[in-house]
Amino acid sequence: MTQGATRRFTVGMPCRLPGALITLACCGVLGVAAPRGARAQTAADGQTLFAGMCKACHTIGGGALVGPDLAGVTKLRAKDWLARWIAAPSKMLAAHDPTATELFNQYNKVTMPDFGLTAAQVASVIAYLESGATTAAAGSAAPAPLPAGEAARGRSYFVGGTGFTNGGPHCISCHSVAGLSSLGGGNLGPDLTNSGYVKSEPAFAAFIGAPSTTTMAAIWAKTPLTTQEQADLYAFLSKAAVQQREPDALLQIALLCFAGAALMVVVAQLYWRKRSKGVRKPMIARTYSMKRG
Amino acid sequence: MDIRAQVSMVFHLDKCIGCHTCSVACKNIWTDRKGTEYMWWNNVETKPGTGYPTLWEDQEKYKGGWQKDSYGKLQLRLHSRLKGMANLFFNPFLPTIDDYYEPWTYDYENLFNAPEGDDQPTARAVSMITGKPMDSIEAGPNWDDDLGGSPVYARNDTNLDELTEDEREQLNELERVVFFYLPRICNHCLNPGCVAACPQGAIYKRGEDGIVLISQEKCRAWRMCISGCPYKKTYYNWSSGKSEKCILCFPRLESGQPPACFHSCVGRIRYLGVLLYDADKIEQCASVPDDQLVEAQRNMIMDPFDPAVISAAKANGISDAMITSAQNSPVYKFVMKWRIALPLHSEFRTLPMLFYVPPMLPVLAKTRDGTYDVAGLENENLGAMLSSLEKARMPIKYMARMFAAGNVGEVEDVYRKLIAVRIFKRAQKVKDYGQAEVDSALAQGKTNAEEVEAIFRLTALPTYEERFVVPPLGRESAVEAWEDPLDHKREAGFGNLVQITRRRF
Repeated sequence: MTQGATRRFTVGMPCRLPGALITLACCGVLGVAAPRGARAQTAADGQTLFAGMCKACHTIGGGALVGPDLAGVTKLRAKDWLARWIAAPSKMLAAHDPTATELFNQYNKVTMPDFGLTAAQVASVIAYLESGATTAAAGSAAPAPLPAGEAARGRSYFVGGTGFTNGGPHCISCHSVAGLSSLGGGNLGPDLTNSGYVKSEPAFAAFIGAPSTTTMAAIWAKTPLTTQEQADLYAFLSKAAVQQREPDALLQIALLCFAGAALMVVVAQLYWRKRSKGVRKPMIARTYSMKRG
Repeated sequence: MDIRAQVSMVFHLDKCIGCHTCSVACKNIWTDRKGTEYMWWNNVETKPGTGYPTLWEDQEKYKGGWQKDSYGKLQLRLHSRLKGMANLFFNPFLPTIDDYYEPWTYDYENLFNAPEGDDQPTARAVSMITGKPMDSIEAGPNWDDDLGGSPVYARNDTNLDELTEDEREQLNELERVVFFYLPRICNHCLNPGCVAACPQGAIYKRGEDGIVLISQEKCRAWRMCISGCPYKKTYYNWSSGKSEKCILCFPRLESGQPPACFHSCVGRIRYLGVLLYDADKIEQCASVPDDQLVEAQRNMIMDPFDPAVISAAKANGISDAMITSAQNSPVYKFVMKWRIALPLHSEFRTLPMLFYVPPMLPVLAKTRDGTYDVAGLENENLGAMLSSLEKARMPIKYMARMFAAGNVGEVEDVYRKLIAVRIFKRAQKVKDYGQAEVDSALAQGKTNAEEVEAIFRLTALPTYEERFVVPPLGRESAVEAWEDPLDHKREAGFGNLVQITRRRF
């Protein structure tokens, strides 16, 4: 369970569907791209891909979020290495690539997900990184650091004990995190226990201030969190992130289910205690016992 | 006055020999399908006995029929509406398959295919539920037939409850042992418990003939009807997932033929005819105290010669053929004119529309000094014994419990009249009675020579046309109310149009 959750929700960005759509769109664009001006076209595709898949964790010239700032990355790393990394980060880590491992440890052991990009798409992303563009225009100028937060208040916000100033929904309706209770929170959004966002304050602040995922953006556009609320939540979530999900949570849930079922059986037995349990056999048994007696 | 027609039956129990031909005829026509193995829409029980399913008359166990609540209003014994909802997914008072019986067949193949051996091959019993051989058969639909299970089954008959311990013990004495047969089909009640209990509204009483049917399209297997019916005459088909019951062979009636059970009856004990009743009186009649139920039911049945009744019947769309049949109805004669046919267990308050002429059981006899002797008759003649209700072999209380909701007087009246018929005819043919005895018997039976002759004629010498007086049912005119009769004719039948298959969830 813990393992699965970690793998699936490492970065905590549910962008598989939009990503796939963009990939499809890109394929279409690439298919009809004229040879002339191919380079400019490729960089533009790369920008689209970047905005869809990378931006949630990376900036170009905007400072490190979940992952490193990518400004000048094409000069820092070999193009070939970059291509292999973007195509399949998990393979590189599995192969104990020294650079990859170092980065992995440096950035809170958050694995970059495999997006399953084609070679052409990877090339276009690299072309975009090479083009020297920055994401500063997209508003990712380093956010002001959060004030000091209080974990207990953050927890209260998370589970719905205290309302948000602007009336936003409580996190627990979609998200779960270790340290709540056995039953956890919602399953609609990812489990935040090992999410990259709660391991880096700038990443959290950047994301929660203007969420880049469709669902979150739609929810928080009209009911933004105040800075203090963000700080409290971060304090809670980053503290929660330290813990691992209790290994016996599943057992607790199973026991709870079992106890519930047992209770239902007892109630049913009581409610239907006068039910017919057969007529003929008891009648025969009664008659013979009377005769013997 | 809301006059409706009811196709109704009389069973003359003195004529029933317990051959089960009716049951087999019914089974072969209607319940030889998968899922219906255990069903007997028509069954014949031995009384005293516990019947089929076991102890069906014991509503403490099965909760069938109606009872009066604390306000004196009729209510299903099974549940109130609220409780019905609570029990919707688990009906706690259903009979188990063991309370019916485990249906079986025999391994006939083995008789032909057994390898050569020292012994005769046998056909072992094979369960029709599990398909495995059954080592012992413990119950059947007529298990207590012919005293087969008397020590257990006859002893537990709930109708014996009101007898004293002495009387019950006497019934088990060898020379006093007595039994009779009770053929049972759906009673096509006027106040049916099954209809009231169905949460789906799948059961209905046909307007033109009063036959109670379960729609195989609407039924959703809640099985409340099985509990609601005090006679346990609806059955659940485990294969189709629908409940089924006796349909009074309406497809045969619609083509002018009598029901299969009626037609195959070798004793010709059955009479089928039309009764006109006043539907406005149903609730009131079903609510009277127990001992008045039989009379209340007679009050509902209207005189088919009364011009007011005829015009009201016509206003309700009852055809002239139906009215003529009601006037010639043998059932009307037995139930209303002669008052010798009684409904079965009217205390269930469903107003059953099948009637029984209670049996005159064999005379009491004993062995005395090794000689078979008619008991206590040294100084009496045969006539006194025949005419003595007090010497009836089966206590009258037992019959009253079955046929008159415990009202002994009602049953005594019937028996006095039957005894009068017997004495009158014996005086006529055997000539072992004097005129004085005949006159006294007629007076006691509140009858006269003319009526006695008529009873004798319809009991002993009826023709087919006198026993079966129902016009071919005009379904085509009845369906005009909602459908083109020609369309309907193409679609009629038992599950031909819509294939009934079990829904998989």
